[in-house]
Amino acid sequence: MNSIQRAWRSVIRKPIKSLLLLLVVVTISLFILCGMSSKNASVQTQDTTRQAVGAGLRLDINETNRSKRLTECTNKIGNGVEGSYGGIQQKKIESAYGTQWLITADNSFESLQIADIEKIAAISGIADYNVSTRVTPVNPVNFDRIEDPDNDQHNDFGGITLIGNRKMALDFNVLSGNVTIKNGRLVDVTDVDTCVISEQLAAKNALAVGDTLQFNAYQNPQIAAVYTATIVGVYQTKQGMSPLMAGDTFRSENVIFTDLRFPEKAEGSENDPCFQTAYFQVANVDKYDDIKTKVEALGLDWERYDLIDRNGNMSTMSSNFSDLEKISTLLIIITFAAGFVILSFIFAFWTKNRSHEIGILLSLGYRKLSILSQLFTEALIILLLAFAITFAVAPIAAQTAAHYLVAEQAEQTKTQQDIDADKVLGNQPAEQTVIGVNAEITDKMLLTCGVGMVALLGASVGVAGTTILRKKPRTILSELS
Amino acid sequence: MILEAKEASYFYKSQKDKLILDHINYGFACGKIYAILGPSGSGKTTFLSLLAGLDMPAEGEICYNGKAITTSGLAEHRRHHVSLVFQSYNLIDYLTPLENVKLGGKKSPDVLLNSVGIAKELWGRSVLQLSGGQQQRVAIARALASNATVLLADEPTGNLDEATAWDVIDLLKHIAHNV
Repeated sequence: MNSIQRAWRSVIRKPIKSLLLLLVVVTISLFILCGMSSKNASVQTQDTTRQAVGAGLRLDINETNRSKRLTECTNKIGNGVEGSYGGIQQKKIESAYGTQWLITADNSFESLQIADIEKIAAISGIADYNVSTRVTPVNPVNFDRIEDPDNDQHNDFGGITLIGNRKMALDFNVLSGNVTIKNGRLVDVTDVDTCVISEQLAAKNALAVGDTLQFNAYQNPQIAAVYTATIVGVYQTKQGMSPLMAGDTFRSENVIFTDLRFPEKAEGSENDPCFQTAYFQVANVDKYDDIKTKVEALGLDWERYDLIDRNGNMSTMSSNFSDLEKISTLLIIITFAAGFVILSFIFAFWTKNRSHEIGILLSLGYRKLSILSQLFTEALIILLLAFAITFAVAPIAAQTAAHYLVAEQAEQTKTQQDIDADKVLGNQPAEQTVIGVNAEITDKMLLTCGVGMVALLGASVGVAGTTILRKKPRTILSELS
Repeated sequence: MILEAKEASYFYKSQKDKLILDHINYGFACGKIYAILGPSGSGKTTFLSLLAGLDMPAEGEICYNGKAITTSGLAEHRRHHVSLVFQSYNLIDYLTPLENVKLGGKKSPDVLLNSVGIAKELWGRSVLQLSGGQQQRVAIARALASNATVLLADEPTGNLDEATAWDVIDLLKHIAHNV
């Protein structure tokens, strides 16, 4: 009778000890698989979250350089001389207070240069980009804006504001999650004369997707040319967008998103756009730094621009899951260590209780290796059974464990956010709510767990077996008699 | 001599001054029954353990067919040269009588169990359900399952009532002269 036959009979006919070991092995395997699954889920979620949250580079006009250029232009025009240079107009105004000089800048002076934007966008690794116009006040022609009689109208233009976007999906209000589409769609790259309006404005004027709105310059609304834009979407906000100036013109509900080149037409300065910001979305967030270096290496007039990192959320989100990964790794290590100790004790107890059987087998001439292999085979048979149970239960257990860990992590993050509230001034922060992770059990995990458990059992059986097998058969038998 | 003790001495390592066996020299021939008699503590079981290869003499050697049993290894000696029958039967409790006999060697367990008088309906039961006499018969059948030429029995009737003990002794005599 070989060791496998003996092992099988022992497992079947000594059910209590087998069930005890089965329970322990199932528990250890489950913990290990849950740990692996949570770790894997956290790593995957880190990657997907980083990609989903995304990262990019924002291009703005450098204010210091703007002042410097303004001074240079006025110096070129000359002191006490009317004229224009580089988009700056210097004009003398006679008033009751005496002679005053009015200096105005047209859009070409204020705007980001489209050629520079396109150079950056052409760099490999930039997935997409957006250009946003400055907030442009215009006059509504065929609809009424939202009015608030209690609002301060001191600087109100009596109009509404337009924000043009090359690709509205990459507008910062949309990226932050504050603006979402309710009906229709966002403005896209190929759109011409299109707009997306607020749900409040749509309700007030009974407007829907497909209707058209008319605008013209607010300075001379009676004579200014009227431009028409078709509504392609209706948006909603979680919080009102911060007004740039007092008055209903800049109320959040009166902000209308249009295609990139519409605001300049509506304000009466066609072909003289004012691009205020550009956003370049990085395709692979892991290559963020490389791409930024490439952008900086472009021969642009960098004194004119500010290149701003927009990857804060990516770091915050991924750091949350980095902690989860550490916890999961710790869980695996502790389970293995504790498993080894527990199994060693079980097998030590097991072999001690079976010293009679071991003595008989030794007296019959069975080699110690054969007896040890019987113990190991018994453990393997139970392990196989345990795996069948574990593999059936593991997906549910892993998902539960991962959700628990994520919930704990999210709770910590929320607490931290509450602590950090009011510390930072800025725009509406991006959504950072994680509702769960997909903690799946892969074949690789099963294989790793299986190999790990076999090694664990082998080591435990070895440790426990040597204590009894070091004895002479006569000693064992005489101890029994 | 099939089995021989040569200057075999034995003492416990913790009590080196107290000899259990003192330079024993004796040879055992094939086809004979030997009985070792003596009071308790005189070293009968120890001597049998040395002959069975369950332990090694502190001095001297045990030879099988003229060769020291350590040459081929004690496990080999126990497996192929000698068979053991103990006072306490020493059957494995989770195996049936049939399987216990199979443990002993490759000879047909059916024939052996029949020859020691174990009824067929008992072959598949748990050994714990057998009487003492039946368990000892199974133990003898197991000892006969190997091709060993020497059967060593350590007080095989010690746990049995008188009638059963005589049955077992008769069985051993029968085996010695016929098997």
